[in-house]
Amino acid sequence: MKKILNLSLVSVAAFALLTGCTTSKELGTASTGAENSNYSKIDVEKVCNVNTNGLSDVINTAKTYNVIAIEKNLEFRRLGVNNSGLIASVEEAIKTNAKQVNPKDFKGKTSKTKLETNFAAHRACKFAIRALQQAEEAKSSWRLAIPGDGYKY
Amino acid sequence: MLFKIVKATALAALVTSAAVAGDYNKQAEKDREGIVKYFETKFSDPEKNKNTFFPYSTDDELKNNFIKNVKGDEFSKGGYSFSKNGRLSYDEIKEFPPTEEFVEKGEAIFNKPFANGKSFKNCFPETSIVGNYPFYDEERSQVISLTQAINECLTSNGEKKFKTTKGKMAHLQAFLAQESQDAEKRMDIKIESKAAAEAYEKGKEYYFTQRGYLNLSCATCHIQGSGQRVRNESLSPGLGHATHFPVYRLKWAAGKADNDGLGTLERRMSGCVKDAGQVPPKNTSDTMKELLYFMAYISNGLPVDGPDIRK
Repeated sequence: MKKILNLSLVSVAAFALLTGCTTSKELGTASTGAENSNYSKIDVEKVCNVNTNGLSDVINTAKTYNVIAIEKNLEFRRLGVNNSGLIASVEEAIKTNAKQVNPKDFKGKTSKTKLETNFAAHRACKFAIRALQQAEEAKSSWRLAIPGDGYKY
Repeated sequence: MLFKIVKATALAALVTSAAVAGDYNKQAEKDREGIVKYFETKFSDPEKNKNTFFPYSTDDELKNNFIKNVKGDEFSKGGYSFSKNGRLSYDEIKEFPPTEEFVEKGEAIFNKPFANGKSFKNCFPETSIVGNYPFYDEERSQVISLTQAINECLTSNGEKKFKTTKGKMAHLQAFLAQESQDAEKRMDIKIESKAAAEAYEKGKEYYFTQRGYLNLSCATCHIQGSGQRVRNESLSPGLGHATHFPVYRLKWAAGKADNDGLGTLERRMSGCVKDAGQVPPKNTSDTMKELLYFMAYISNGLPVDGPDIRK
């Protein structure tokens, strides 16, 4: 009897090692999107403030974070204008000293969006960082919307 | 002794595998049941459920424009499942459905031989298949959508791909959907492996994740928000969204002169993600296909009733 018991325990242990003890609960935690990082600690209004940081710094910040947002398929688009299109229009405005931007839409055509340059830089910067912060926040909030799971009514 | 251990391990593996085999859709089934229960509760009596589900709706609308006790199959009609006024217009349009000509065009595309003499018949010998898409292909380790399968049929026969949003792709899908509807097929999406369950979970996460500059998820509007208004439109329930495509949309038809108004499910999903304020995933990307896989699974058991009409 003892021999059978030992044999069973060894078998179960060996099987658990071979299969990696997969459970349906683990399947439920499959992850996509942004990995955990420190985006949530960024003070958006502070780093995107054109008056204190200057137009060039703000648009460089926007570019830095928007590249990551694009990689993670999180880039914002507003009224047909991708955030990268808005950034490009501000960069062009910096070169020409234009007070207003008219970005191209995602098809490369002139959009209906017309914005004051400083405002456009602030928006581009905010959009780039918020896309990343939002994805981090969603990691702990998305299940709260599922009926029968986190959503109670 | 070693032989006995190996034998016992193999036996334990076999027994456990058999027990787990039917378990891959356990979570998905729990989700589906939870979502069906939610919608049936929500639309059982909107007037009575105002405080819980419709805090911003007027008493007049809840009393006079909501159909009570909406259940099961009715949800495949989208917003027309619960809106009395919407249903009246829908039923009238359906008397002479504008989708008939698309079904005919789709049938012609289906039967037209490719340059090599073969046709879509060779790829799709069975035509009432819409309720089985998307499916998880174990060998290729990816979800396969109907749109992808059609384009792969074309390229494997030396033909050019169709556009994934409208035109010939939508016409052909209209024909296949009509064939499925005529055969009284229902949505029958399977999850038969750990990898398939993971693909489903990714689609589910995408559906419930808030995104874009408006910080909206699909669920914000089509689970919690369903039945509520955005401007003059009532938001449709997410349950049943995958059953009736391709659809003829008045909005699409009115958009451009060269647009016949018929579009695929991918076209609609891209539009929704854009509306939330984010660049949408490509129509045959894993992200899009996994999203469709989740949406189709939760509609399991509902009748395939495409091609249909929507505003």
